[in-house]
Amino acid sequence: MKCEEIRPWLMAYLDGEIEQREKSEVEKHLADCESCRREYESFARLKEVTNRMRFADLSDQLWAGYWKGVYRRIERGTGWIFLSIGAIILLAFGAYQFFKELLTDPHVSLVVKVGVSACAFGAIVLLVSIIRERLFLFRTERYREVER
Amino acid sequence: MVQRMTDEDSDLILMSKKGRMEAFRKLVEKYKKPAFFMALGLVGNRDDAYDLSQEAFIRVYRNLSRFNPRHRFFSWFYAILSNLCKNHLRGRQVREEYVRDRQNTADCGHQENAAPGPDILLEQDEASRRLWQEIERLPFEFREIIVLKNFQGLSYKEISAMLDIPMGTVMSRLYHARKKLKDNLQTADGMRAYEV
Repeated sequence: MKCEEIRPWLMAYLDGEIEQREKSEVEKHLADCESCRREYESFARLKEVTNRMRFADLSDQLWAGYWKGVYRRIERGTGWIFLSIGAIILLAFGAYQFFKELLTDPHVSLVVKVGVSACAFGAIVLLVSIIRERLFLFRTERYREVER
Repeated sequence: MVQRMTDEDSDLILMSKKGRMEAFRKLVEKYKKPAFFMALGLVGNRDDAYDLSQEAFIRVYRNLSRFNPRHRFFSWFYAILSNLCKNHLRGRQVREEYVRDRQNTADCGHQENAAPGPDILLEQDEASRRLWQEIERLPFEFREIIVLKNFQGLSYKEISAMLDIPMGTVMSRLYHARKKLKDNLQTADGMRAYEV
């Protein structure tokens, strides 16, 4: 094997994840090639140091509260969803009642009726536009939850 | 070490899908430590790692219906966690650049790290701190594979499944990651012990 081909196998050899056939080839190459041998030795020294490194653990108190944190956030998320649905239903119903009474009230001038209707129409167009944009972003977002 | 997907996991996921919070709690309790330490290796800050790993479990819960039972739970979970960490780091980088611009810092090569990394290590010697700083400066893909191999002690097969890449790619990515780390250490001051 050439030096370029052997390099990835040096990692498998170093980490003890190599089959006997490849192991013999790597050992033969290392015996013949000083450059690769020096590189392998430097990787071995690096591994020695990284192997000594460990992350400090969290306190028992933090571990004990881990699930509670997850649960609370799930619970709050569910709460917000129901609150939002309820608010949307009430707002939609309120808006419907308001416009129904406004448009059928003979005492309200035509100018006001047209103005309010135009505002309502504009708001609906904006809302639809935002929802459409959000849906497009959701479909094309690179980092949304990955499904495998 | 990440536990293997067991029949118990399948049962827990199935029950969680039916809304049994106790089953989901067991799943969280089982995987919270590997989740936290993987996030810690990726973002280098304990508070952020705690928060991001919890957020990953929440996203898992909301997307349980999308989980394919033929795949390992933790591989799926890790893909979500890894993306969260990647986004978090990107946001942090943007914030740091903004702060640097505002401060009009002359030294452009200096990286102001909002999350001081070395305090997350058990050993507080200079060599470990310096090595960790260099690991943090690696590109995300390189840091990720070093964390999975050296800190989590996963096998090549497990890394291959976790990252959804062939074994050959695991080996070559690990080679390039370690080489870059080694080269950076060689050029860094005060690292005579690692000179090769």
